[in-house]
Amino acid sequence: MSTDCQKTTAKAIPSTRRVTVNDAEHMPHDYSTTPGGTLFSTTPGGTRIIYDRKFLLECRSSPVAKTPPRGLPKIPGVTSPPSKDASEKAHNGELLNNNNTASESNNTGDDAQFEMDI
Amino acid sequence: MNNKFDALKDDDSGDHDQDQGSPKDSEKEKNEDEDKEPNASKKKMVVPGAGEHPLQYNYTFWYSRRTPGRPASTQSYEQNIKQIGSFASVEQFWRFYSHMIRPGDLTGHSDFHLFKEGIKPMWEDDANKMGGKWIIRLRKGLASRCWENLILAMLGEQFMVGEEICGAVVSVRFQEDIISIWNKTASDQATTARIRDTLRRVLNLPPNTIMEYKTHTDSIKAWEDFHENLREGVCIRDVLGDDESREGYLCVDWHCMI
Repeated sequence: MSTDCQKTTAKAIPSTRRVTVNDAEHMPHDYSTTPGGTLFSTTPGGTRIIYDRKFLLECRSSPVAKTPPRGLPKIPGVTSPPSKDASEKAHNGELLNNNNTASESNNTGDDAQFEMDI
Repeated sequence: MNNKFDALKDDDSGDHDQDQGSPKDSEKEKNEDEDKEPNASKKKMVVPGAGEHPLQYNYTFWYSRRTPGRPASTQSYEQNIKQIGSFASVEQFWRFYSHMIRPGDLTGHSDFHLFKEGIKPMWEDDANKMGGKWIIRLRKGLASRCWENLILAMLGEQFMVGEEICGAVVSVRFQEDIISIWNKTASDQATTARIRDTLRRVLNLPPNTIMEYKTHTDSIKAWEDFHENLREGVCIRDVLGDDESREGYLCVDWHCMI
């Protein structure tokens, strides 16, 4: 992953290396792939950083991604500030977004039972 | 931006490892930019930590809630949207997201907004004023999953519309929930069509889900007209629609909102 991450300037949507995406029909039909590649896709004149859903979800399990962010405001019922880890989790565990280790195991019953393609 | 939560950003200046287990450089903030913008309320740049996966753009989470039972409030809308925090990498995103309640569990008339850094989740922001949004109404129970899929698609640059995306919103309302995605140029039909197609592809929506595109100029016009011609018995909800988090905030003089 040695691509430089400069931001691209606004320009017309260019073709990718292999697939012309002028038409929405040409987009891949399953969500886990993106035209021209999965992790980083190169567009002429620059590099845009593209991640698919699967990859983003995998990053969630890294230890770097789990510690509470600094300066997280305490908004009751909205945020879960970093305090006593175990007790906090036990109380809020079902409601927070951090309770799923596997991808789709976080349904607390309120979500519709759709087939999720990854 | 007069936001009381800006004060929290000062906690980070010059501090090192307050969180155990976090790499030293994650959320390292540059302070030298402060001098360039004296009137900005101490905005510090967020950068990806070492070894983290950078995002194409930095983003900021916001939250707003209308106090139930309060009649038309003279408090400005801008004062009521609160920043939760900004991030520059995938890992930093998860650190915030994992410590936030899921939309399906929010109470009352509440909204989460996730916008590119520097763009306020308001029509009047330069990035938004010529733009619009796709809105999708969802029955209760779907918002958490759809919001997650929506923001993962946005952060992962799945929409493929250059710089057009401004941000996304999830709105919790009485009997339904609404998700929306904002873009810069309402008149750019190629862009709005591609956004719509990407939404269909990434959200796994129930069949027959309706998507509606609204331009912000229409909303701004309705808002201005409403304030200039206050009529007894006319509720701003009739004018704006319940997908607007601003609905319920009323100023006699609309200028005081900015």
